[in-house]
Amino acid sequence: MPGFLHVTAADVSAVGPEAFLCVVGIALVLLDAFAKSLRPSFPYLTLGGIAVANFLGGYPSGSAFAGAIETSELTRFVDLLALAAVALATLGGGALLARDRRNQGESYALLLWSAAGLMLMVKGDDLLVVFIGLELMSIALYVLAAWYREVAEATEAAMKYFLMGALASTFLLLGVALVYGRLGSTRLTALKGALASGEGFSDPMLQVGLLAILAALAFKIALVPFHSWAPDVYQGMTTPAVAFLSTAPKAAAVVVAVKVLGTLAPSGLGEPWRPLLSLLAVLSILFGNVVALAQRDLKRMLAYSGIAQMGYVAIGLATFDGAAFEGILVFLAGYLATNVAAFLAVGALSNGEKEAHPLADVAGMGRRRPFAASVLTLAMLSLTGLPPTVGFIGKLLVFRAAIDAGLMTLALVGIFGSLVSAGYYLRVVYTLWMKEPSREVAAPEEDVLSGAAYILVSVAMLYLGVFPRLLLDLARAAARSLPY
Amino acid sequence: MLDSSTPIQWLGADILTTLVFLPSLGALLLLLLPNGAKNAIRAVALLASGATFALSVLVLQRFNPAIAGLEAFRPLLVDRPWIPRFGIRYLLGVDGLSLILVVLTTLLTLCVLVFSFGQTIPKLRGYVAAFLVLETGMIGSLVALDAVLFYVFWEVMLVPMYFIIGIWGGKRRIYATMKFVLFTLAGSLLMFVAILFASGVHAKATGILTFSLLEWIPAASSGAWSLTASEQALLFWAFALAFLVKVPLWPLHTWLPDAHVEAPTGGSIILAGVLLKLGTYGLLRFAIPLFPGAAARYTPLIAVLALIGVVYGAWVAAAQKDMKKLVAYSSVSHLALVVLGIFAGNVTAVSGAVMQMVGHGLTTGLLFLLVGVLYERRHTREMADYGGVASQVPVTTTLFVIAMLGSVGLPGLNGFVGEFLILAGVFKANVWWAAFAATGLILGAIYLLTLTQKVFWGPNRVEANLGLTDINGWELAGALPMIVLVVVLGVWPQPVLDLVRNSVETVVQIASVRMVP
Repeated sequence: MPGFLHVTAADVSAVGPEAFLCVVGIALVLLDAFAKSLRPSFPYLTLGGIAVANFLGGYPSGSAFAGAIETSELTRFVDLLALAAVALATLGGGALLARDRRNQGESYALLLWSAAGLMLMVKGDDLLVVFIGLELMSIALYVLAAWYREVAEATEAAMKYFLMGALASTFLLLGVALVYGRLGSTRLTALKGALASGEGFSDPMLQVGLLAILAALAFKIALVPFHSWAPDVYQGMTTPAVAFLSTAPKAAAVVVAVKVLGTLAPSGLGEPWRPLLSLLAVLSILFGNVVALAQRDLKRMLAYSGIAQMGYVAIGLATFDGAAFEGILVFLAGYLATNVAAFLAVGALSNGEKEAHPLADVAGMGRRRPFAASVLTLAMLSLTGLPPTVGFIGKLLVFRAAIDAGLMTLALVGIFGSLVSAGYYLRVVYTLWMKEPSREVAAPEEDVLSGAAYILVSVAMLYLGVFPRLLLDLARAAARSLPY
Repeated sequence: MLDSSTPIQWLGADILTTLVFLPSLGALLLLLLPNGAKNAIRAVALLASGATFALSVLVLQRFNPAIAGLEAFRPLLVDRPWIPRFGIRYLLGVDGLSLILVVLTTLLTLCVLVFSFGQTIPKLRGYVAAFLVLETGMIGSLVALDAVLFYVFWEVMLVPMYFIIGIWGGKRRIYATMKFVLFTLAGSLLMFVAILFASGVHAKATGILTFSLLEWIPAASSGAWSLTASEQALLFWAFALAFLVKVPLWPLHTWLPDAHVEAPTGGSIILAGVLLKLGTYGLLRFAIPLFPGAAARYTPLIAVLALIGVVYGAWVAAAQKDMKKLVAYSSVSHLALVVLGIFAGNVTAVSGAVMQMVGHGLTTGLLFLLVGVLYERRHTREMADYGGVASQVPVTTTLFVIAMLGSVGLPGLNGFVGEFLILAGVFKANVWWAAFAATGLILGAIYLLTLTQKVFWGPNRVEANLGLTDINGWELAGALPMIVLVVVLGVWPQPVLDLVRNSVETVVQIASVRMVP
């Protein structure tokens, strides 16, 4: 092992995008402090930073920092998801925050830092790097949850998210400690070697360790029964931040779960892991969808819908083979475009970030704001999984993998969940187009940036639904670079 | 004339692709127009649906009905990879069965749009766009030969219909449209799982990952698919349920009266004229040829449900006071007879069923259209609000009487051919079924004649009807092609029977192999 502080150019380039995002974030905070007049240009600076970071993302596959970091097609795929999520949240969110004059540089910086954290988390081959990445991602989001600190719901959301998130982090550390205690390393590759030669995976201490790590990740993914923070946080957090929170971090946590499971259970999922993940999937799908039916606040509804959607991902986790991983990645990418679209449109069709987002407020918006209403409609159809949207492609792949692996029950539960979900997703659609408005809602006109965001997400939802090959090829390459 | 094996290219796209997406192109074009440009909207509507109809007639002309079996698809087949890794293909093709329904679809869409110009329809742009997107979904479902592609088009039909009922519908439109969507979706999602499972089993058995019917059907008849009996039964029901909900067969029919009553006239015409037929089409194209053993095993059960449907639909229709509801329940009865014909399993009955699918599309479409003419003027569909209006609206009355007699099955009109062939075929299969089904037809004559008598004949009891104006130019232009076909196909049904003979014989032959493992 080379010297501890010996950092090569290859090491730097492996974390180039993260480093650059952090620097841009710091620059934005400083600019906000010393050159407030530049505030209108912050979205452009952020987007420019994301573009450069994306350019820096062309690093080669391999290990860096003496094996603490492992880069691959998969990490590039997650980079792409994270950058897309921040870019879209910035494009569509600037106007929402500017309405209340709360578009300070920090609002962009925190998103960038959070993205950097989740990208680092996925690259970590050392579980401690994973932990650091997860913390960077989460702490930025805790702060964003309290962005409107004068609003009671926002403070509540931040407190709840922080306390429960801290507990989840503790679980992760506990799990890492137990794994280290048993196998003497925190490196996934080293663990894999130790397991291959050693007594294998029946060891109870290892099992408890893995359980703790999975619980922490399930918390970030918001799977039942680790979901209880989601509705309150979604409701209290600013809409652009939720658009990010509900997509990219969940995707990253899912990928880390796949990596950890693949390392500690190299010969495929056996007892008790497959039944356990199946249970998480079934509970999330049934609970999320049924409770979402009863919601009258759009953001809370989308929170429960997100729980159910991650239940479909958990079907892929329980299936645990190459086809399922590919399906998961496609599903996550489609979900990202769709859910960001949904949140941006919900934000644009509301009275403002400080108020609730009742479903009744979007009544008649089909006529008043046809553009944003169409985006929201498309997002609802994609979340339902109706073709020809990208939501259909994701479900097609995940369900196909599950059925091929003989997990028919899971697929049927998923299908049943989809049917229930049509009930509340389509309720949004008819409220938009078929109901008369009950009260005056501010819902400002789109500016250029949010218009661009709407077009991007709509094209993504439709184009990838009709011509999914681009996404499938990316996901295929990414899934292949998983070492199992 | 060109050899029928020459692929037809139009602007670089093959003819079937153009046929499927031309209407959607029109819908896209509409987005560029301002909402108020009524004449431009009408022009685009006419152009898109008219060109699609003309194209379907061109395909009809190029189609060679003499080719038997699955080879019939070959000359116009479009086969491109779509999602190659999962063996999902962009596979389009027509045989006689799908082609006659495609032409029915393009004709009815054109008629509906022309008809709508004579009616007061708010937000005309969206209305026309919804029908054009719907047309893409309908044609696509009929020509898709890849199961996943079929499923995609099948679901694409759902959204425009959801909007058509939900935006332009009556008072309880939201309830009706949600019920329509959830019923249909419940069936189609099951079918989706069945499609995925079926391909998985097929891949394991044959080593070929495919969703193509052209490979599935031979595998099913040769037994190469190696489905166990219980797998076949489950798959059959998953497919059949999706289609029987759409038909709809008693007791899955409850969404239909709601949807029909609340839908705007154009929506009702397309719903009755095409969407219901896609259910029976699906039985003939998927459920029976893919799982012939299970289809044979469950024929008695489905036949009993169909017989109940025939009588129940007629019986309930006879009790209705609302004209639209009456016609809706008559559809339940008529379509149940079609299902009975399909499951009778001989060439006569299945030919009759296909004939009746076309005939019902025309006559019931017309009945809905003419009820829509009256409703537009009086804003009521209660029979009691009319009476003796024949002297006020002589043209409407004449058209209604022709459509009604066609629906009743008067010889010389098109409904007779289908019903007669179905009954003759069912008689061969099972005398009791035929006897029972015939009673439903007699009931049908009673309620439709009563309807006509109550609305058009007798003394004029309601003063408001004295000022009733007759059908206007656009409305008439929409109705005329359908009326003409009702008469022409009644007198001279042979072209349709010739067109579909080979498809029907293929289905019947596959079904009669009855590979019960």
